[in-house]
Amino acid sequence: MSTVLVVSPLLVASWPLLSAAITAAVSSMGYATARAMQDSSVRAGQKATARAEIELEDSEILAGGAGTDERLVVERDGILAIFSRDARGALKLCVEGAGRSKAELKQIGEALVGRVAQQYAYHRLMTELKDRDMTIIEERVGADQAIHIRVRNR
Amino acid sequence: MSDEEIEIEIGADGKVVVRTIGIKGPRCVDVAEAIAQVVGREESRQLTDEYHEAGVQAMARVEQRVRRFGLD
Repeated sequence: MSTVLVVSPLLVASWPLLSAAITAAVSSMGYATARAMQDSSVRAGQKATARAEIELEDSEILAGGAGTDERLVVERDGILAIFSRDARGALKLCVEGAGRSKAELKQIGEALVGRVAQQYAYHRLMTELKDRDMTIIEERVGADQAIHIRVRNR
Repeated sequence: MSDEEIEIEIGADGKVVVRTIGIKGPRCVDVAEAIAQVVGREESRQLTDEYHEAGVQAMARVEQRVRRFGLD
């Protein structure tokens, strides 16, 4: 043992990079991209739809990628999650679902946001480790879904 | 082959823990910081035995030299 640092992630990236992290994260959680909100099975439901919003203070979507739709809609089991760029340029997630409480939707949203941050951190770290020519000697995902990486410093 | 290793854990909430192994002295902080800066903001740090070990060894060498040259 020598040094242990605990770091909270800062999501600073262009929309294409961030949407790649979102896609990787939500896919692993069983969500699929919804083609259009009108086509969603959630929209077709008769029950009142609850809604929860989460804004990621520690995020910044960099300008660029003109012409891209800075919005990504995914869906699973009647839950609709809409990732977008808010007015300040931060990442925002809106979770909707019929027959669900706001607290339940917020919890679902926080789990999604956590996994997006995890994927973002993973890709940033792997790129950095390769750039530094470090050797990855172990990589695994734990039962708690945490990613464990062990590298050798040259 | 180097015995210096770095363990990285990325939690499901995105929180990252960087742990250095076998890197003695202040350099272990530099290595961990360089990795940590890539992902975000440092929340906490813990310096453990190996970090202090290098400092103790350096102090022992200085004391040895002082005794050898009768400088004390």
